[in-house]
Amino acid sequence: MKFQKHILIVVFALSTAFGFTQNDSSNEVKFETKVSKKKLGVNERLRIDFEMNKDGDNFNPPGFDNFMVVGGPSQSISNQWINGVRSFSKTYSYFLAPKERGNFKIGQATIEIDGEVYKTLPVDITVTAAVEIPKDPNDPDYIVQQNIHLVAEVSKTNPYINEAITVVYKLYVSDNTGVSNWRELDVPRYNDFWSQNIDMKGVKIENGTYNGEDYRFVVLRKTVLYPQKTGKLDIEPLTLDISVQVPTNRRDIFGRRLMTQAHRTVSAGNKTIDVKPLPEVGKPADFSGAVGDFSFNVTMSKTELKASESLEAKVEVKGKGNLKLINLPKISLPSSLEVYEPEHNENVQTNLEGMQGSISDTYTVVPQYKGKYPTPSISFSYFDLKTETYKRLDSKEIVIDVLEGPTSGASSNDNIAANNLKQPVVLSSEQFAYIKTKSNFTSITPSYFFQTKLFWSSLLLPFLAIPLAIVIRRKKAERDADIFGNRMRAADRLAKKYLSHAKKALGKKEAFYIALEKALHNYLKAKLNIETSDFSKDIIKNLLGERKVDAQIIADFISILESCELARYTPINIVTMQQDYEKAAKTISLIDKQAS
Amino acid sequence: MKQLLYIYIALFSTVIFDQNQSLFEQGNQLYNDGKYAEAIEKYEAILNTNNHSEALYFNLANSHYKLNHIAPSIYYYEKALQLAPDNQDIKNNLAFAKNMTIDAIDVLPEAGFSKLSKKVTDIMSFDNWAKVAVGSVLMFVIIFLLYYVTYSTGKKRLAFITSNLFLFLAIFSVVIAFHKYNLSKKDQPAIVFAQETVIKSEPNKRSQELFRLHEGTKVQILDTVNQWKEIKLADGKIGWIENEDIKEL
Repeated sequence: MKFQKHILIVVFALSTAFGFTQNDSSNEVKFETKVSKKKLGVNERLRIDFEMNKDGDNFNPPGFDNFMVVGGPSQSISNQWINGVRSFSKTYSYFLAPKERGNFKIGQATIEIDGEVYKTLPVDITVTAAVEIPKDPNDPDYIVQQNIHLVAEVSKTNPYINEAITVVYKLYVSDNTGVSNWRELDVPRYNDFWSQNIDMKGVKIENGTYNGEDYRFVVLRKTVLYPQKTGKLDIEPLTLDISVQVPTNRRDIFGRRLMTQAHRTVSAGNKTIDVKPLPEVGKPADFSGAVGDFSFNVTMSKTELKASESLEAKVEVKGKGNLKLINLPKISLPSSLEVYEPEHNENVQTNLEGMQGSISDTYTVVPQYKGKYPTPSISFSYFDLKTETYKRLDSKEIVIDVLEGPTSGASSNDNIAANNLKQPVVLSSEQFAYIKTKSNFTSITPSYFFQTKLFWSSLLLPFLAIPLAIVIRRKKAERDADIFGNRMRAADRLAKKYLSHAKKALGKKEAFYIALEKALHNYLKAKLNIETSDFSKDIIKNLLGERKVDAQIIADFISILESCELARYTPINIVTMQQDYEKAAKTISLIDKQAS
Repeated sequence: MKQLLYIYIALFSTVIFDQNQSLFEQGNQLYNDGKYAEAIEKYEAILNTNNHSEALYFNLANSHYKLNHIAPSIYYYEKALQLAPDNQDIKNNLAFAKNMTIDAIDVLPEAGFSKLSKKVTDIMSFDNWAKVAVGSVLMFVIIFLLYYVTYSTGKKRLAFITSNLFLFLAIFSVVIAFHKYNLSKKDQPAIVFAQETVIKSEPNKRSQELFRLHEGTKVQILDTVNQWKEIKLADGKIGWIENEDIKEL
């Protein structure tokens, strides 16, 4: 028993010494404490090594107050020369059994090396309740349980929905056992996840620690998962059947342990992942579940072409994230372009960090008519995990210019003017018309004629003309029938016509009589057609007599003429003037009536 | 005082008129040089003086077309067509602009009586129908008076018949003018300006989405509720759209 332990110690010391030569080529003095476990049951044992890389004297172990020293101190020394470099290691080992439960500190050990005192660091040890120790510590099942562990490592336990997480299954095997073969009994199905296994090329054995102890490990399986549901999701465990080489108690003639084969079923524990929903705040309307880091662009294979030629429009999203789970935004093109169903392309690689690459939709577009077709910009929104915000990318607006082809407008076809040997003249009405060069500006606020006052009055007033005309006509007929009245009115008109000057001069003696005389002469001139030169009373008498005017009226007329001549030399008052005026008016009208 | 004001107004309006002419020519020059955005600024400066013409709208629409502004170009072509409904150039370029739109909407054909009545009423604007009515009334009155005045039976008969014809024409024109006036009051076309907009079944945001419209589509406004307008498409679909997504013609 003791011998075994010593060999173990020597092997241990050798291996650690090997480590030292690699890590520490300098001559620095090292003195440290190593414990086999930091956590143990009260019924277990603990091994503690004090190790130095230079020989020293006066080793002074710490007081193991809460422990019982079961074995030790034992001493081992190893010397190595590798490539001419010497490495040395000396170890003091103790086996300790805890006295009670609790957290204990193992104090400092001291040693004197080359005249100087070195101290180790204190070590904390946790002693827990008694653990079950099988009766036979050499039982292979027990050894396997203690030395082989299957672990599922999840990169993130509270991801966002659609955020990539990875699950890595590692098989930890302690140094003193060996795994010869394994078989997957139960492959986990990842419900509520989009999953992809990453192919492992060969098995690579690596060194690592598990629960603070050195182990070798093998990565069995790597899986990228994209949670598709929020809430708590379970990852099913992976179960393996392993064939293990376990050391036995027996040894061969060289003192090496004999190994036995054991089968063991191990499974990685159930893992629960809490998937967060994406924030509702600021969620764009066109968000379709893309999570990651993307770039977005829309490209056209050509932008200038003839009608009925084809072009390809490509909507592409590049980057990292749940690319295979994204719905690409649809391109919206003018309705007069013929657009065919898109062809979907995926160029996505999946590694431990998730999917990356690009996905694209390629549309074939065939324009039918001449013209310009701007394709409106389309947007693509995604959730950026770095900033934890939504981001929106807009494509550029691209104009497709169809240079030649029929027009879709209502333009007529009778454009060809002449179809003989001469060059036909084609009216370019299917061209985009140039701007107008002349303009008559009118007010932008319209002034309507309809339903205005002017409209109603001009519509209805003419109707009033009809009764008016009828009334006027009736009145006229009445007046035509009234002969005496007509005469009177005619005389009045005459008097007014000839005596208006005299009337104005009424009151001024000379002016009045001159005007009156002139008026009478004028009247006669107009009525009897006589000239001023042969204007004498006798002629007047004769002429009026010829026209069958009463002698009395003629006498009156003459007397008025005489009084006109007389009045210039005699004083006359206004009353006489008035009388003369009225007399003249009366006489004129009478003459007019009687003269034929 | 009043005369002074009139003179001032007359002078001012002629000044504005001259300014507009020079702005128009500047705009045309810029258009010819390919500086469409600057041309638009000049044309809009004219619009800001509250003056317009079909040529102005046509040039504005052309400039927007050259800059690939779908909705504004269609908007101004429609404006120009309102002022000059039979202009072939405007129709031609509007067809070019409509090529840029995304929505494909079939126009419901009209048939029978409604087609005929539309044809008749569309001969003139209601204002011109009103003028025709006034002219016919005038002719009726003159010829009726002639009938009243003349004595020979033949002339009287002829005058009576023609006067009655004019009276009938006057009444007909007034009726058509009213009809046309009501039609044009009801006719509230608008152009969709939003690049893409959702048409809802009710004038609120939570109601169901009926369909989507894109920039440049012409719609008829039927009703207004708060910030929403009820619209009708040329193919008869009806729905509610938010005010800011459309612009009335």
